[in-house]
Amino acid sequence: MTNGVLLYAHNSRDIDYAQLSLISGGLAKKNLEVPVSLITDESTVDWMKQSKIYNKAVDIFDKIILQDRPELTNYRNLRDLSAQHKVPFINQTRSSAFKLSPYEKTLLIDSDYFVLSNTLSEYWNINQSVIMPDAAKDINYKDRMKYLDRYISETGIKMYWATAVMFTKNQEAKTFFELADCVRENYETFANLFRYCPRQFRNDIAFSVAKHIMNGFEKPMEYTLPSLLTSLDRDSLDHVSDTKLNFLIEGDINGKYYPVSIKNCDIHIMNKKSITRNYENLVNLI
Amino acid sequence: MNFGYLLICKQNADVDYIKLAYALALSIKNTQKQGYDKIALVLEDRSLVETLNSSWVFDEIIEHPLPEGWDGRSYMDKFTPWDNTICLDSDMLFVRDYSQWVDYFIDNCELYVPNKAYTYRGEEITQDYYRKAFTANELPNLYSFYTFFKKDSGIAADFFELQRKIIENKNEFSNLFLTNRKPKVVGTDEAFALACKILDLEDKISYDLDFPRIVHLKPMVQNWPWPANKVSDHIGFYLNKKAELKIGNFQQYDVVHYVEKELITVELISMLEHIAWKK
Repeated sequence: MTNGVLLYAHNSRDIDYAQLSLISGGLAKKNLEVPVSLITDESTVDWMKQSKIYNKAVDIFDKIILQDRPELTNYRNLRDLSAQHKVPFINQTRSSAFKLSPYEKTLLIDSDYFVLSNTLSEYWNINQSVIMPDAAKDINYKDRMKYLDRYISETGIKMYWATAVMFTKNQEAKTFFELADCVRENYETFANLFRYCPRQFRNDIAFSVAKHIMNGFEKPMEYTLPSLLTSLDRDSLDHVSDTKLNFLIEGDINGKYYPVSIKNCDIHIMNKKSITRNYENLVNLI
Repeated sequence: MNFGYLLICKQNADVDYIKLAYALALSIKNTQKQGYDKIALVLEDRSLVETLNSSWVFDEIIEHPLPEGWDGRSYMDKFTPWDNTICLDSDMLFVRDYSQWVDYFIDNCELYVPNKAYTYRGEEITQDYYRKAFTANELPNLYSFYTFFKKDSGIAADFFELQRKIIENKNEFSNLFLTNRKPKVVGTDEAFALACKILDLEDKISYDLDFPRIVHLKPMVQNWPWPANKVSDHIGFYLNKKAELKIGNFQQYDVVHYVEKELITVELISMLEHIAWKK
């Protein structure tokens, strides 16, 4: 069976997802020792060439798979320390991962999820069609995750995080992705049934609903990927020293930050601008 | 094997407990294997059962006065006609076969009282909103809604004897043993827990097990982010014609202790009856 990692990158005017995917893909390749492929679009590839990172991309990625650039329909507020911007982002094509993945077993990850350990290698041989994390763990000593980070609604189902999804190319996983796509297409209808807020499409929610339905509408006994260690968008990746990632974490009192370092831990870094600010040093980790 | 469920029903002006016991009995008949589906009902007036469409769901009907202020469940060991009994609260529903639990209890226990309950989402209840006195007085977290016992058990006899004394002398026991925080009412759960603690029986009668799994629909322990008066204000209760029960977005496979008595409607009973008639 071929195992591999898959990433998506569609640049927007605010975030250079191509850069992010290079770091994320490179780290996954190095630490999991499996091939990595990228799903992207022509304009993003053009930008990679223009910004002279395309050769690096060819180096890192086993395959660069082109798809039509999806329409920009989704916006979200993204914080970078205290600054806040409304930015467009493209997240509605993730369900195509099943069809487009060149691997029999795929680890689909977000481009802001950095694999800095080989922990996920332990999961390739698990006999379960779709495995996802069902929790996020705050990098802060005091958990800042809110209720709606644990459940998709106040009375609803548990949140699975689509930041990392391991799936096998089989009928069950195919149905799962088709169902997730059905939830995306009928997001408001499912919001009435599952009581989540439909204002902004989230893969986490679509995947959680699909998983819950596939699991027979109950909390199952199943494998999950490890909790996602997460630094929030109001934190910042400050600098990279050797193999250590050094963050400034927003504390309890607004405006006060304190340092936190991590090493050899997989991490989801929500402040994407702070990743691109550290691009050169992060690329050196690959 | 002589095994059966026991329901003790005291009618009152506000709640038709016979109707609730009838719904539970139908759900037991519909879901349990033969030999695991016997039901005995204790009530004051046998004629109340005769008006039901299918009174045959009760294998034994035991008439006994249940005076006001007298806790009938304290006498479960005296009332039961079975050698092996599970005494249930009336406001519960069975949704699948649980006979494997019964087999375990018969083979391994003289008396077992669960120490866990679950939310409709299948999460173990950890909040003590309704059980502050348990926490403050370090009482074992016993739930009397599903109590297994053997009729000839010495442990069960001692336990029931003491919990009857507690129920009969609530103030005295409360003043002596529940000094850190007095419960509003010393009910069956509190009496069970205190008896268990005094007799030091926790390891014998309420050790950790993954079953029985009982969904307890009290509103303040559902892990919701806000206070709630009624579960049904926030989530739906859906029973289909196959008697499959969904609460909110969750299919229920465990015994459901629904608490809100008005959830048992004429329509719901009619659906349960139709399944029982076809079985």
